[in-house]
Amino acid sequence: MKSPTSLAGRLSRVSFLILVLIAAWTMALSIGEAGPPQPEKAVRGPCVRDAEWMRRNHMDFLKHKREETVREGIAVKSESFLACAGCHQSRERFCDRCHAYAVVAPNCFECHQYPK
Amino acid sequence: MLSEFTAIPGRSLAFWRMVGAMLVLVLMGAGAFFYVEHHGHAVTGMNNQIVWGLPHVFAISLLVMASGALNMGSMSTVFAVKQFEQFGRFSAFLSIALLVGGLAVLMLDLGRPDNMLLPMVYMNFRSMFTWNVFLYTGFMTLCLLYLWTMFEYKQYKKLVGTAAFGWRLVLTTGTGSIFGVIQGREVFGSAITAPTFVAISLTSGTAIGILLLVHTYRRTGRQLDDKLIFGMRNALIFFLALVAYLLIVEKFTRFYDPSSYAVESWILNGPWAWLYWLGVWGVGVLIPLVLMFNREIGNSVGGVLVASGFVVAGAFCFVAHTLLAGQSYPFDLFPGYVTSSAFQDGVAGSYVPTLSELFLGLGGVGISGLIFLLGIRFFRMLPEKAVAPAGWELPWTP
Amino acid sequence: MTMDRRSVLGLGGAIAAGVALAPGLHLIAAPADKSTPETAPVRTGKRWAMLIDTTRCTADCTECTQACRAENNVPLFGDPDRDIHWIRKVELRDQNRRQAPISLPVLCNHCENPPCVHVCPTEASFIRHDGLVLIDKHRCIGCRYCIIACPYKARSLVFYKTRPPRDANPNVPIRAAGVVEKCTFCVHRIDDGKPPACVEACTKANKGAMLFGDINDPNSEISQRLLKEKTQTIRPDLGLKPHVHYKGI
Repeated sequence: MKSPTSLAGRLSRVSFLILVLIAAWTMALSIGEAGPPQPEKAVRGPCVRDAEWMRRNHMDFLKHKREETVREGIAVKSESFLACAGCHQSRERFCDRCHAYAVVAPNCFECHQYPK
Repeated sequence: MLSEFTAIPGRSLAFWRMVGAMLVLVLMGAGAFFYVEHHGHAVTGMNNQIVWGLPHVFAISLLVMASGALNMGSMSTVFAVKQFEQFGRFSAFLSIALLVGGLAVLMLDLGRPDNMLLPMVYMNFRSMFTWNVFLYTGFMTLCLLYLWTMFEYKQYKKLVGTAAFGWRLVLTTGTGSIFGVIQGREVFGSAITAPTFVAISLTSGTAIGILLLVHTYRRTGRQLDDKLIFGMRNALIFFLALVAYLLIVEKFTRFYDPSSYAVESWILNGPWAWLYWLGVWGVGVLIPLVLMFNREIGNSVGGVLVASGFVVAGAFCFVAHTLLAGQSYPFDLFPGYVTSSAFQDGVAGSYVPTLSELFLGLGGVGISGLIFLLGIRFFRMLPEKAVAPAGWELPWTP
Repeated sequence: MTMDRRSVLGLGGAIAAGVALAPGLHLIAAPADKSTPETAPVRTGKRWAMLIDTTRCTADCTECTQACRAENNVPLFGDPDRDIHWIRKVELRDQNRRQAPISLPVLCNHCENPPCVHVCPTEASFIRHDGLVLIDKHRCIGCRYCIIACPYKARSLVFYKTRPPRDANPNVPIRAAGVVEKCTFCVHRIDDGKPPACVEACTKANKGAMLFGDINDPNSEISQRLLKEKTQTIRPDLGLKPHVHYKGI
């Protein structure tokens, strides 16, 4: 191993430092809005599953449901996308905002409709 | 007998220019990919009758050539033609380069390239494509192992090389079967299609090997014994005869069955007949044979190079003809009736390729070329001096 | 640090070997969920089929195709080579032009031996328990092998990106570009106990040319009529056992 005194070594250290500073700075700026955005409250309830459970597991739940619905023909209307909209009226406030925050982009709505 | 294997120096401007040209092709391919991705496949020439177009012609040609490029290696490892042993590394490496380029085009032309890993998660073993997932990755693995044994563990070379040879036969049979066992399309219903693909891979793989080998040696100022090239010429002649034989036998079996008269007259006399006669037969078989049988041309390296160029172009024509003539043949849903509808029932499909498809295909060529150039630049792929063993005489010359 | 070239080659081999082996591993565990009565699978022993009476179908009528487009949100792009057709009207003329032309709808035949399902690498095309041949678009990679394999031209690739029409039927998802799609026999309506939209439209228009039902039930109207009347399927010689039967050709 060469000791990192070369120009390249120094440059990479400096750029790493700059990156750390930028990260700290952005974090400091966003302290005002701590935590993930709260999804829209349901206009009625209860949800098909416990709300806390849904928050953690809705993606697996939906994936599991889609296999069952499409391939097995077990279409449970009360647990479909369309039924979500019965209680959570805005896709923007219920789904998109949090997905944007978490930087995940599921492509459900390329095909599925979320009724208004 | 073997001289030292070395990497090419690759310091000249001409080398980096070639790398640059390949990079440009790759960028063109990437551009075409994003363009098609953004607008949907509507911007290609493909339609609901011809769903596999120019990108697939490029991809399948590259894949067929990839398996054929292993020839030079197999000749020495499997068939003990020792004078080609020195090209074993080159041959296995060229296979990998061509395979990667072809697969890239195939993957990037998917309707949902974002789902391209799904075939590895869900498998349907009745589908040739599922088999291809294993056949292609397996072939690549074997080629890499083959290379590795040639570099380091010579005692396993025979074993791995033979496995790779067997695998490549299965691989190309698989690729050809896609166009041989489709019951619903009359043109894709011949058991001889798969063996013909194998024969085409033998010709085109040998030809591209000759082309790249001679050019590499010439441009790096290394010594390459002409006799070796003429040995490959003889192999190429034999492979071309095999292709001609299979093409004729196929027609023979088809014409024995009156129910395929309509299909056959479509192929021999229909809208794609020019590609069959001029491309598959003319460019692919007859012209190179005539050239190589000519006493003057056939006995010059330049002439063999020209013939090899024709053979590669002919393989491309063969794949194009198989795909395009096969798909554009009208469906006969109601035999005995003339059909018409808003969905082109009873009408031959039409296909005009677009630039984006050409660029995507060329992108695959660029990937292969880039891998090849960098490979011979950084690895010891080729012997410094390629000479035929002393006392080896060609059994035949034109 | 530099790796010598041999170890780079070896590493490449190892990676390729990993790629070759990886497909054998199951990345997604089978779901284990208790089935409540509401979620019982559709293993009803039904086998859906259709009977089309071409003697009652007329060339000027497009009720079935229109109803299909409305029900399933199937757009018309105005690009005849690339339009999506789940059901289309085909006109047949005998080669000598002695008989009057026959007009009939052609749609997915929901074969018992569907070549599209056989060639699909990801099992995106599959046969449901009640015999429907469906496409799981979540799995479709858009390779179009199924379009090559289907002899009925029942499948279309989605060539264009689309948005849902304003009056879209929310029960049927719209389409992502790059997947293959086809007639589903209106699976969402079947699960609600209703006949496919085309059949309903044909009946409403007083044509009565289309009949839908369960051929595993010997007392269903379709079973009875298939027993009594002379019908045929398209290209029976291919051995696909299609389940759209035609009368009058």
